[in-house]
Amino acid sequence: MYGTQSKRDLALEFQSQIPILRPSIHSRRANLTVKFQDLYMFTVEGNVDDVNVLNEVREKVRKQGRVWWALEANKGANWYLEPSISEGIALKSSLKFSTLANAITLKRLIRKGIPPLLRPKVWFSLSGAAKKKSTVPESYYDDLLKAVEGKVTPATRQIDHDLPRTFPGHPWLDTPEGHAALRRVLVGYSFRDSDVGYCQGLNYVAALLLLVMKTEEDAFWMLAVLLENVLVNDCYTTNLSGCHVEQRVFKDLLAKKCPSRIATHLEALDFDVSLVATEWFLCLFSKSLPSETTLRVWDVLFYEGAKVLFHVALAIFKMKEDELLLTHHVGDVINILQKTTHHLFDPDELLTVAFDKIGSMTTNTISKQRKIQEPAVMAELDQRLRRLNSLKLEDK
Amino acid sequence: MATSGNKNINAKLVLLGDVGAGKSSLVLRFVKGQFVEFQESTIGAAFFSQTLAVNDATVKFEIWDTAGQERYHSLAPMYYRGAAAAIIVFDITNQASFERAKKWVQELQSQGNPNMVMALAGNKADLLEARKVAAEEAQTYAQENGLFFMETSAKTATNVNDIFYEIAKRLPRVQPAQNPSGMVLMDRPAERVASASCCS
Repeated sequence: MYGTQSKRDLALEFQSQIPILRPSIHSRRANLTVKFQDLYMFTVEGNVDDVNVLNEVREKVRKQGRVWWALEANKGANWYLEPSISEGIALKSSLKFSTLANAITLKRLIRKGIPPLLRPKVWFSLSGAAKKKSTVPESYYDDLLKAVEGKVTPATRQIDHDLPRTFPGHPWLDTPEGHAALRRVLVGYSFRDSDVGYCQGLNYVAALLLLVMKTEEDAFWMLAVLLENVLVNDCYTTNLSGCHVEQRVFKDLLAKKCPSRIATHLEALDFDVSLVATEWFLCLFSKSLPSETTLRVWDVLFYEGAKVLFHVALAIFKMKEDELLLTHHVGDVINILQKTTHHLFDPDELLTVAFDKIGSMTTNTISKQRKIQEPAVMAELDQRLRRLNSLKLEDK
Repeated sequence: MATSGNKNINAKLVLLGDVGAGKSSLVLRFVKGQFVEFQESTIGAAFFSQTLAVNDATVKFEIWDTAGQERYHSLAPMYYRGAAAAIIVFDITNQASFERAKKWVQELQSQGNPNMVMALAGNKADLLEARKVAAEEAQTYAQENGLFFMETSAKTATNVNDIFYEIAKRLPRVQPAQNPSGMVLMDRPAERVASASCCS
């Protein structure tokens, strides 16, 4: 239903277009660096190519929006809210289509991107956040906020310290209002799960959730479902053990899924993938990829699960395979990867590689890999702790 | 083959210290000459490189700026492993950050590269009014533990280039007395081919 477009209330559609630069400038574009705002109002630096790519992305987002509206018109407004086959729970959806057909359509559609205006609704239901929220009293979030008001913990101190350091300069996040909302979400969560408390990195994740979701409360529930259901356990707890496990799994996958000479070459340089991938996994790419590209990754993450992070991380290496093979220093490897991620303004460029060129990985296989790596990680962390403790004793 | 008048050295350098001590700000000041009041919090670690000319040698620092939060501690060995130098940063207005710095020194002394050049940076030296850690105290500690100490301010740029320059001078292969033999492997961090110890 194209008519519904007029209801779009977000700034996205109305943001001024980035001026399309005249072709005459193209010859000089290699030297031109311009600052511009992307779809989520982040100021980014790029060259003229980047600006044009971003304009094309805006156009694609619009087109993708029309596909979703058309589907709504055909299948009914909430067709994608059909329960997944495995769950088998009957929702109160009045429409019953072939669940399987819908699931296939939906998977493809989501990999092509959820229109920004539908993101809040689609994420909320498909991630399981809606279900999670429905199991507690309506007033849960308000009660939580009231209960924690005025309390000071190591987590709240750390959060307060990080508020102005989370995407500084963003026109909404970096305002008193933005800081206050981010604080409530993070502090609230730190009390909900005291094992996680607050881990640096979550500030970026929560900030981006706040930008996407309609309400602060929904952002809170998205954070909860992310940490409690979507991602592997213990990614953010005291010694980040879950994150260590993911890094080892990733290292193995790189050797298997990308040509083995890449892994061999990087190893010869003494380059450990976790040097770059730790930030990718803990911030879910929000500090590395442009905002719309990050959110496209999250679209799939919320529907297909944590294995998506591996797909995307592998794709980044795969895209730069040739260049990486020419490097002689760890520093060069990192520079290539950083430059690549910062300039991935076209989400499809990344996601096509991530899902069509990496080969399929089931959540099951990855779970098995994790199980294999876990004992080694635990032993290593434990050994390290003991070494540090014995150091303290010697000191006395 | 390197000649005595033209040495190129790659040196891995790691910054460690408590959250908010100003590690990223020191690096930003050194690498880009900039300062921002609110520096994005570092997750995992950030990488930078910067080259300095010193004593007829060119030192290319490969800088790992690490995250300060306690739980990121478990990642640190990856960054200090094989490092030729470390800057341990504390905030002179925060006693706890000085205690944390001492722990880092201890860990590096037992786990790090034995030839590592270590510097202790008392950062935010512009905030004299709020000082909690006396310069003498830090100086004494540094002397006793084989580090050199400087008070720095990323904000005013005081001593920032100097601390990196001082580190560069102290790198084993930069010292004029050093006589490197054989081929210099350009693509290897300095400490691998260095044999003499750098600090007492």
